Amino acid sequence: MTVRWSAADRRRPTPGDLLVALLVAAAAVALLLGLGQEGGNFLTASVVLDGETIAQYDLAALTGPVTLEVEGAAYPLTIQAEPGRIRIAESSCPGQDCVHTGWASRAGQQIICLPNRLVISLEGRVSNEVDAVTS
Amino acid sequence: MKRAISFLLIAIFLLLAGCGTPSAQEQFFTMDTVMSITVNGKGAAEAAAARQEVEGLNALLSRTDGDSLISRLNAHAGDGTAVEVDSDILELLSFAKSISQLLPGCFDITIAPVMDAWGFTGEERHVPDAADLARAMALVDSGKLLLDEEAGTARLAEAGMSVDLGSVAKGYAAARTEEVLREAGVTSALLDLGRNITAVGPKADGAPWRVGVADPADSSRYLCILSLEDATASTSGGYERWFEENGVRYHHIIDPKTGYPASSGLQSVTVVSQNHLLADALSTALFVAGEEEALDFWRSRDDFELVLCTEDGRVLATEGLEAGLEFRGEEQGYDCQMVRR
Repeated sequence: MTVRWSAADRRRPTPGDLLVALLVAAAAVALLLGLGQEGGNFLTASVVLDGETIAQYDLAALTGPVTLEVEGAAYPLTIQAEPGRIRIAESSCPGQDCVHTGWASRAGQQIICLPNRLVISLEGRVSNEVDAVTS
Repeated sequence: MKRAISFLLIAIFLLLAGCGTPSAQEQFFTMDTVMSITVNGKGAAEAAAARQEVEGLNALLSRTDGDSLISRLNAHAGDGTAVEVDSDILELLSFAKSISQLLPGCFDITIAPVMDAWGFTGEERHVPDAADLARAMALVDSGKLLLDEEAGTARLAEAGMSVDLGSVAKGYAAARTEEVLREAGVTSALLDLGRNITAVGPKADGAPWRVGVADPADSSRYLCILSLEDATASTSGGYERWFEENGVRYHHIIDPKTGYPASSGLQSVTVVSQNHLLADALSTALFVAGEEEALDFWRSRDDFELVLCTEDGRVLATEGLEAGLEFRGEEQGYDCQMVRR
C-alpha cells in the first residue's frame, strides 16, 4: 500500500486539502472556545494597597468565609471574602465610602478606599460583559 | 484552490493574532480618585505618558496641593493680586463660568467654601451650623472670578472665596490625555478617570467599547450598557460619597442655590458627549437641575446625550444613545424609557 503525501508528488491541491484546512480551522476555534470556558466561573479579587498587590482571592473557588485584616494601611480595615463576593466590612477611614459600597460580586467591579489608596478589583473571564463602568 | 486555502489560513492566523492584541495599563491615584488608562496596540510608554499628563494636571489644578496654580489663585482671593494663568487653564475657567451662566443656580466652581463647611474636603463630614453655612454661601459666586484673557490672569474678587475644579478636572484631563495618546499614534484606548469613562477610538477588534452605567441602588448591576467610541460617559450621583447624621443621609453634590445636598428627584445622571469636558461638567449641573430642566437643556442642544435615573424608579435614555444601548434596569424593577426630542 502506497501513501502519497509528498508535496512533490502532487502540485494541485485537492478538495481533500481544503477539508484538512477546514478541520484545522475548526480545531483552532474549538481550542479558543475551550480556553475561554476553562474555569468558566472564575472570579478573582485582587487587593492592591498603594500600588502593591497584598492579596488575591479566587472567589469562585472559596468554600467558606475569609477575613483579611489590613493593619498596615494608613486607616486599618477589614476585608471579608465569601464564595462569589467580597467587601470591606470595617474601616477606620474618615468617609466610610468603601464600607458603604457593600459587596462586590461581578467582574469589572471595584471597591475603593481613597484615604488608604486601596483598590479591590474583580476580574473574570465569562461574566465580564462590559469594558468599564461609569458611576 | 491553493489561493483559497492560503486566504483561509491567513484569516485564521489573523483571528488568533487578534486575540492577543498587546495592551498596556496604568492604574494610579490622583485628583482624589483612582484612575486607570488602558492603551491597545502600543507599549507601556504611551500609557505612562498619559499618566504623567494627568498627574501633571493634578499638580496644576488641585486645591489641596498648596503649590498648585489653583491654590495660588485661592490664596490671593480678595487681595487684588491677579494670578498669571496660561491660556489653556484660562479657557477651562471660562468654560466653567459659562456652564454657570447656561444653567443658573445648578453649577458653580466657587462652591468650595460650602464643601469645606460640610467637611467633604477634609476628614470629618458633618452638617454645618446655619451661621457657618450662611458665611460660606455668601462666598459662592463665579461672577466674582475675574478672568483677563489679554493679560493672561485670573483673580477672585473677595477674601475667603475659593475655586474647586472637582466638577471639570477629570473631563479636562480626559481631553488632554486623548491628545497625548493621539499624538503618539494611539488609535484605541480606554480612560477610566474616577469612573468617568472616555473611549479613544474603538476596541482593538474594531467594535465600540461597552460601558455599564451603574445602578445607584446596587453597584454590581447596571441600568444599561452603552456603546462608546470617541466619547466620554460621565456620571454624577449622590450614592457614592455620603454620610449619615441623626438618621438622615447627606451626599456630596451641593446645590449652589441652597448650600445643601441637591435634592432634585434624580438618583444619577450620566452624560455622554464627544466633548469630554462638557460631559464632566454637565453630569454635575444636570444632577442638580433635575429631570425636567435636564431634558429641556438636552432638547436645546445637540452635543450630548443623557441617561437619567429618577428616585421614583425610572431610567430615561435620550434617543441619540439608542443605537447600541442595552437597557438592563428592568431586572431591578426600573421602568426604562427612551426619550425623544
